[in-house]
Parts: sequence; structure tokens; C-alpha cells
Amino acid sequence: MTQTALDTAMAPTINRRGRAAVGPVLGLLAVLAGWEIAARVLTDAFVLAAPSEVLHYLVANWQLMTRALGVTLGNAAAGFVIGNLAAIWLAGIALVWPRSEGVITGLALLVFCLPLVATGPILRVLFGPGPGPQITLAAFAVYYTTLIPLLIGLRAAPESWFDLVRSYGRGRISTLVHVRSMAALPYLFAGLQIAAPAAFLGAMVGEFTGAERGMGVLTIRAIRALDVEMTWGLATVATAVSVLVYLAIGTLARRVLLDDPPVILATPAPTGRRYQDGWIDICLVLFLALGSWAGSIWLFDLNPFFAKGPQDVFDALFLATDAAATRGTIGMALMESAIFLIPGYFAGLVTGALLAMLLTLVPAIVGTAMPLAIALRSVPIVTTAPLVVLLIGRGALGTIVLVAIMVFFPTFVACLQGLRQAPAQVMSVFDSYAAGPLTCLLRVRIPAMLPAFFAAARMAVPASVLAVTVVEWLATGSGIGSLMALSASLSDYDVLWASVVLVAALSAFGYGLVGAVERRVLAIYAPEQLA
Amino acid sequence: MARDLTPPPEVLCADLSKTFAGGTRAVQPIDLTFQAGQTTALVGPSGCGKSTLLRMVAGLESPSAGTVRIAGAPPLATRRQAGLSMAFQDPALLPWRSVRGNINLALKLARRRAEPSEIDQLISLVGLDGFADTRPAELSGGMRQRAAIARALATHPGLLLLDEPFGAVDELTRQQLSQDLPRIWEARGTTTILVTHSVSEAVLLSDRVIVLSPRPAEIVDDIAIDLPRPRTRDAARSDHVIALTDRVFAALSKGMADGAAFLAAQ
Ligand SMILES: Nc1ncnc2c1ncn2[C@@H]1O[C@H](COP(=O)(O)OP(=O)(O)OP(=O)(O)O)[C@@H](O)[C@H]1O
Ligand SMILES: [Mg+2]
Repeated sequence: MTQTALDTAMAPTINRRGRAAVGPVLGLLAVLAGWEIAARVLTDAFVLAAPSEVLHYLVANWQLMTRALGVTLGNAAAGFVIGNLAAIWLAGIALVWPRSEGVITGLALLVFCLPLVATGPILRVLFGPGPGPQITLAAFAVYYTTLIPLLIGLRAAPESWFDLVRSYGRGRISTLVHVRSMAALPYLFAGLQIAAPAAFLGAMVGEFTGAERGMGVLTIRAIRALDVEMTWGLATVATAVSVLVYLAIGTLARRVLLDDPPVILATPAPTGRRYQDGWIDICLVLFLALGSWAGSIWLFDLNPFFAKGPQDVFDALFLATDAAATRGTIGMALMESAIFLIPGYFAGLVTGALLAMLLTLVPAIVGTAMPLAIALRSVPIVTTAPLVVLLIGRGALGTIVLVAIMVFFPTFVACLQGLRQAPAQVMSVFDSYAAGPLTCLLRVRIPAMLPAFFAAARMAVPASVLAVTVVEWLATGSGIGSLMALSASLSDYDVLWASVVLVAALSAFGYGLVGAVERRVLAIYAPEQLA
Repeated sequence: MARDLTPPPEVLCADLSKTFAGGTRAVQPIDLTFQAGQTTALVGPSGCGKSTLLRMVAGLESPSAGTVRIAGAPPLATRRQAGLSMAFQDPALLPWRSVRGNINLALKLARRRAEPSEIDQLISLVGLDGFADTRPAELSGGMRQRAAIARALATHPGLLLLDEPFGAVDELTRQQLSQDLPRIWEARGTTTILVTHSVSEAVLLSDRVIVLSPRPAEIVDDIAIDLPRPRTRDAARSDHVIALTDRVFAALSKGMADGAAFLAAQ
């Protein structure tokens, strides 16, 4: 999701708005027709509502829907603003004090990896009734996807521009005002565009945790009541809103910016770092994370029955009399989730990358597929979790498919963009030898695609954890997602906190693992990305 | 044109050398004085350390050893008073600003003012009439370089550092520019240091040509160009110019040969 881009691939849409718009419209019509037919065929199974039925439902209940939508949009907007301001602020600190960057991104990643399914209920207890948890989760969902592009953007200027400013005797502030801020603008927009639907998703998940009003509340009610039309209606509205916000920010960006916005690839690498800095940063991150966790419990004087500190979690996992049982329960749940998560994750990655490659061999289709895929990438997949489960059932396949879908879209879009990043000069050289499309794909495009692919693979780790935990919580009733929901409702806070810690740590570890593979591969194929 | 805000300085390099972090030695210890108000050309093979030397003079690169003094002060002081301008090898135009916008930014950074008519004159001098409000992306490589030269001149610097300013410009435009531009810095009496790959340009434009050896840069020859000004193209065909050009060529090839021998001996 980092490699956002407001889209080089949308370029044809900008240039030949009239003709290029036909493709996506046709695609959309085809999807709608297929959906309608499938619904008619499956009419007795009570799983699929046809577009006509969804439309009918929405028209009949428009007041309910608009009220709920208003609430959720309000929460999402508040979280969007807070989260992005936090991101800008953090990026500012990293810029002023470069040594802090590793720690800032590390802590930010750890917070980003917190499982919303569990932080939701915890925040609910902390905030009590009201929009607090929704707004917080929306803010959590967006700040990381803005922070990373911004960090890259603030440095995305050739050295000579900085030399120019220095040659007139000016320092960092002039550099920031005249060079960095402008150079970062496209990256900021790229981040904001991804952030907008993410904020909506965050707000909805926040509402799952016992809010009074909003789309999330209605979704829970629809699932419990097995109201197929309402479930589909809500998912449709959530999807439409997300796609519209995404497109709106894209349009705004295209008005403000001169060039096509950038494709954001590798993670930012602070300059002048030594090898051991990485390890020092990891230790600092752990230290600060544990410190602020314990510190805030002490500072806000939270109820010890509910608020467990690092010491409590350690006791529960290792020292308490039932420590072995606790470890067993959590370990079992993690295993159950991993069985769904890992195949889904890889299936999503592989199909995304393969389909993108296949499409570049048939360039005619890309024009149609690209805008559609970009729009679908902004779909809050998790809110459609109930649908997938309705369709495929509560078994393993449903969960795996959902994780795969969650991973598929960002990977697919990133890879398509990456494949198009192939340097034009090199492609010209290949053309001059009349090399076929397959040779170009293998020798130029795939290496050019790798950074985008890995950026997507990294961001897909927390995303797939989110998908698997939400499905387990809302539908299947197994795995770590369900365990966290269950322990929250049973007030078994030892297990809840321990699960949160383990899930966050494992997500961050998975992210780091993909990052390590990424550095290995890029060192061979795209060393400039690591410079 | 308007008043010169800083008098042309003398530039002194004492025992100046540079070794990069990776161990690449770019510049051998060099002692060199650039006279106030003179134009000095630096010629030398590609990769020998010319840009590095120029950047050290501007204080953009810190020397590994030795000092640079501009009018007796460290480069930073001169930069702070906007006393120097550099035209970089890569034009370094900000893509979101037009040609005029880039020039205005330089004026703003240098805390200087200029009449719009003066900027128009400069833009026209470098042959960019009609492109004042065009963004760099829509200019050719040579046009961008010319915009960067106009920007460097706009702030009336006492010290002008030009790193291959005509590198991507066609031969005819190049001749035109090398007739027109020196008039400006001669009229202003600017101290100019010009890096160029063209030997004839070096001879025609400057008061002195310094020939550098292959990396690490060392002074192979220091040739005074005692030709009358203004220099015309006809003068370029005089026997004296030909003799000077030959001398520069000879020094260059000697530097190359020594370099090869040095490498062979290693
Ligand atoms: N930042 C740097 N780090 C390491 N080595 C560098 C750096 N900049 C330049 N060099 C090395 O220093 C040497 C001199 O570089 P410099 O740019 O000064 O050459 P130059 O004479 O300007 O060449 P050209 O005529 O091709 O522009 C080169 O060998 C180059 O590889
Ligand atoms: Mg150079």
C-alpha cells in the first residue's frame, strides 16, 4: 500500500478522458450484470443479494443509511485529520533530527501492527461510550501510510537542489520551505489517497466494538440478523464511499501537482547509518514501547483489573500457576490463524504479481483493468468480510480467500505500476534489438517491478493480520481474532493483553522478515533503491 | 546593468585536497590563487576532480585538508552575503517553477532585488525569449543550462562558478553565448571560474587556463592568456591563439601520459 501513487497508470485517463473512461464503465457494467445473474441463480441460498435488491433496500432505508453514513464519515474525517497531522509532525521530527528516524518509524510500525480487533475493545473501556475509539482507530489506520511516503518525499530531491540553496548561504529552513515541502507534496498526496479509505475502515471497525450509531453498528446488526440485503447494502455503500473519496483526492492531486505523482517503492533509508544502528534502534523501540505502555497505565491511573502492564503480561505468560495453560490457549489460537493467514497471504501475492505480469503481455486490457483495480483497491475489504463468509462459508476456504483478496489488490496495483516503471531508455535499447515482449518482461520489467512488489508484500503483512482477525471475530469463531474478542467480552484481560502484544510483535516481525528478503533481492536487482 | 553589490574577490586555495569517504582521492594538494576580476578556466579529463575543486571553492564540499579563502574569509561568509553564484553541471532547476520563477527564487534566497526588466534582459541574453514562463520539463537540455546561467548571473555575484555551463548547448549557440556572456562578467568585473571541456572555449573566454591531470587532480600547466578584449571570432584564428591552444592541448596530453605512466608504475 505504500507504493500508492496517485497513479502513473491513470495517465491515459488524464490525456484522453473521454475514450479511456469507457473501459472502466464497461468493466463496472459487466461486474454488475454478473452479480445480478449470480444472485438470481443463488436466490434460495440467502447469501447473495442482487444489485436490484440492494438498490431497493437502499432506497427504502435511505434515511437510516444516510444517518449512519454521516456518523461514520464524521468519525473517519476526524481520525483522518488527527492521524495525518500526527504523521506530518513525526516526519518533521525525523527530518530535524535524522538519528531519530529509525526509532520513529519502528514505533510507528509497532503501533500500526496493533490488532484493531483487540485495541477496539480496549479503547472502548478506556473511552467509555462515544466516538473516541472510532476516531482513534481511524487515526491509527492512516498515520503510517502517510508517514512513510512523507519521509521518502521530504528527501526526494536531487542533491544539487540542496546545493543550490546552500550556495546562496541559506540553511535547512530555506531548504524545507523551497525544496523539500514542494518535493514531498506528490508523496503526501499519494499517502493521503490511501489514507482516506483506510480511515473509513478504521472508523467502521471502531464502531464494531459497541458504538451507538454508524455503519459499523448496522453491519454487526445485519450479520447477527442474517439480513442479506442489509449486509450487501452496507458493503455497497462503504465501497462506493471509499472509491469516491479515493478518486476525489486523486483528482485534487492532479489539479495541484504538475507531474504524475510518484510510485513509492522502497522504505526510506536514513543516510549515514551504520550496521549496528539498526540493532540499537530495535532495542530503543522495544524499550520506549514498553516504557510508554507501563508509563501510561501509571500516568492515567488505570484500573489494574483491566489495564495490564508489561509485568502483568510477563507474569501471565511465564510465572502464574496457569501460565502454561494461557500459553497453550494463545499458541493454539495463533496456529489456527496462521493456517489461514499464510496460504492466503502467499496466494494473494502470487496471483497479484502473476496477473499483473500477464496483463503487460496484453497491453490492450491494462487500460480497462487498471482503473478498475485501482478503484477496487480502495474497497474496505474487511467490511465485506461478512459477505465472503456468507458466500464461501465459515470454513477455511472463506477466510483464506478473504486474506488473499486483501493482499491481492494492493499487490496487483503495485506490480502493474512497477512493471510500468521500467526505464524508457532501457526499453528502447531492447526495442532496438527487436526483443519480444516476453524478453522485455523477464529482463527489464520484472526487475523494475521488484521494489514495488516488495513494498506491497511488506504492507500486506499487517493488512492480512487485520483481515484474518476480523473474519475470525465476526464470523468463524476460531483463531486469535476470536480469542481476543472472547477474552474481551469475558473480561479475561490477561489473555487479551498478551494476545495483543504477541500479534503486534509477530506482525512487526513478519514485516521485518519481508524487509530482510527485500534488501537481499534488491541488492542484486535494484541497488539504487537501497542507496 | 545594475550595480555590483559585492566587489570581485580574490580566491585563495592553500594546500587544498579531497579524498572521498570511499577512499577515492579526487584532488591532490593544490595551491592556487584566482585573481580578483579575472576569468580562469579549469580544463582536465573527465572525472579528474574539476567539479570537486569547484564545489570546495564554494564550500559545498568540505576539503579533506587545506583551506579556501574568498576575499580572506571562509566560503560560508561569502555565501551568506550572497557573494557567489554557481551554475551546476546538472542545471538544478526546480521543476515546479518557470524559468522566471527559478530566477526569482535565487534572488529571494540571495535576499536581492531585481527589476523585472533586468530579468527579461538576462533571459533574452541567454536566448530564452518567449520561454520565461515555461517550466523546465518543457525545455531542452541546453535550454535548461542557459536558464541556470541566467539564474547565476541574476544575483550579481562577485564570484561566479560555472561548471561546464555550455555542455549541452549546440556549437553555434555556444559561440554566441561565449561572446555575449563574458561581456556581462567583464563589465561587472566578476571573478569567474569556468570549468570546460572545450580547449578553444577556455582560451577564448579566459585570462588564464589551468590544466589539470587525470584524477587525482594536480596542476599540469598554468597558462596566461594575454589576448586583447573584446575577443572576436576572427581573433580566434590568429597565430597567437593557435599557439596558446596548442599549449593547452600539449599540457592535457602530457597530463594523460603521466597519468598512464603513473598507473602503469603502480
Ligand atoms: N560524492 C562522491 N563520493 C565519492 N566519490 C566521488 C564523489 N563525487 C565525485 N567523486 C569521485 O571523484 C572524482 C572526481 O569527480 P568530479 O565530479 O570532480 O570530476 P570532474 O572532473 O568534474 O568530471 P567531469 O568532467 O566528468 O564532470 C571521480 O572519480 C568521482 O568518482
Ligand atoms: Mg564535473
